[in-house]
Amino acid sequence: MKVEVTTKRKFQELKEQEIKKQATNEQEGLDSESSTFQNTAEDVQRSKPLNPELVQAASAVASSFPRSKEQAESELLAQLRRHEETTDKQRRGGTINIRNVISEMAVKRQSPAQRGVRISNRISLEMDEDGQRIKPGRSSSRSFDSGRSLKAGKRLNIFTKASPETENTLKTVSSPTIWDLEFAKEIAAVTEQPPRNGFEEMIQWTKEGILWEFPIDNEAGMDDGAEFHEHIFLEKHLKDFPKQGPIRHFMELVICGLSKNPYLSVKQKIEHIEWFRNYFEEKKEFLQEI
Amino acid sequence: MAASALCWALRAARQVLPSQTRGYYVDWRMLRDVKRRKLAYEYADERLRINAIRKNTILPKELQEVADKEIAALPRDSCPVRIHNRCVLTSRPRGVKRRWRLSRIVFRHFADHAQMSGIQRAMW
Repeated sequence: MKVEVTTKRKFQELKEQEIKKQATNEQEGLDSESSTFQNTAEDVQRSKPLNPELVQAASAVASSFPRSKEQAESELLAQLRRHEETTDKQRRGGTINIRNVISEMAVKRQSPAQRGVRISNRISLEMDEDGQRIKPGRSSSRSFDSGRSLKAGKRLNIFTKASPETENTLKTVSSPTIWDLEFAKEIAAVTEQPPRNGFEEMIQWTKEGILWEFPIDNEAGMDDGAEFHEHIFLEKHLKDFPKQGPIRHFMELVICGLSKNPYLSVKQKIEHIEWFRNYFEEKKEFLQEI
Repeated sequence: MAASALCWALRAARQVLPSQTRGYYVDWRMLRDVKRRKLAYEYADERLRINAIRKNTILPKELQEVADKEIAALPRDSCPVRIHNRCVLTSRPRGVKRRWRLSRIVFRHFADHAQMSGIQRAMW
């Protein structure tokens, strides 16, 4: 059996590490789980044979082992196979290492009383005012139950990121047709309940627009999001007009009046000025005769 | 002209479908008033601008005369002066209170049946 000394040393160290790991695993009591997963992994990967040199090296190392040689050899081979499997997966990309998932989990002990409480929490017999059942509230504190946060920990790579193309296609497909709108209106009409009291009636009216919102907003329905300087400083729209002359004088008066008008939107004011510009453009020849 | 009148008539009388829907304007005068209001709304901006040119001491008078002709060329029903506030329910041209848009008779009818909010018979 040709086994180089250096490789033998390497595998001895490896073996020692594995034994330590397995000892600690036994202490934690996770060994059963890990071994079962090992077995399943083995069963899956048995189709791929290991490198014969590695197998020979493993058997040589196992022979030098003081205790049960066969067990050591089988365990070493299992480890090797797992290494191969992980490297293959990494080559393919995206390993879902179940160990990472389980490493953070722990078996929870529940007393039967607690179980009863849990189940009764799920089934709620209370009714809301609308006649609909109250669902058990999902508090955000559940995520902090075992003192862990959602964001900490290694990334598990279980879910693939949704590509933006699929999102776009979904959006284009679901552009609302008339039938969808009608359906939505039907649902809304069927599910709405008559108001139970005056407050709800007032809420409904406010939504429809019959009742104003209090405290009264003076700019309700009028605010077009333009700042005050866009309303007042309208001189920049006078660029195309002649600098001197009665037309300029006239337009400056127009702008003065528009800037003081609180009832028009900026768009309307600009439209006014545009109209005057077009009007004077048309009358240019006429004006030049004068 | 006749075609447009026919269109308006159709719109006023609606189509005589099996369900016999009728138009909602009390009479033709009310309909004409509605027409005038719609046109006045459409031409309001233009009239305002042309009037701004007319009622002016700065621009030359020739320009103002041209503007005079332009505004006269607009449809006659587009001027707001021709709008008359008729009663909304009976189309009565006179005795109409502006706040309720109702003629005095209709107003009195509703007030006596307690269908006018906040209206009470005066007594002092």
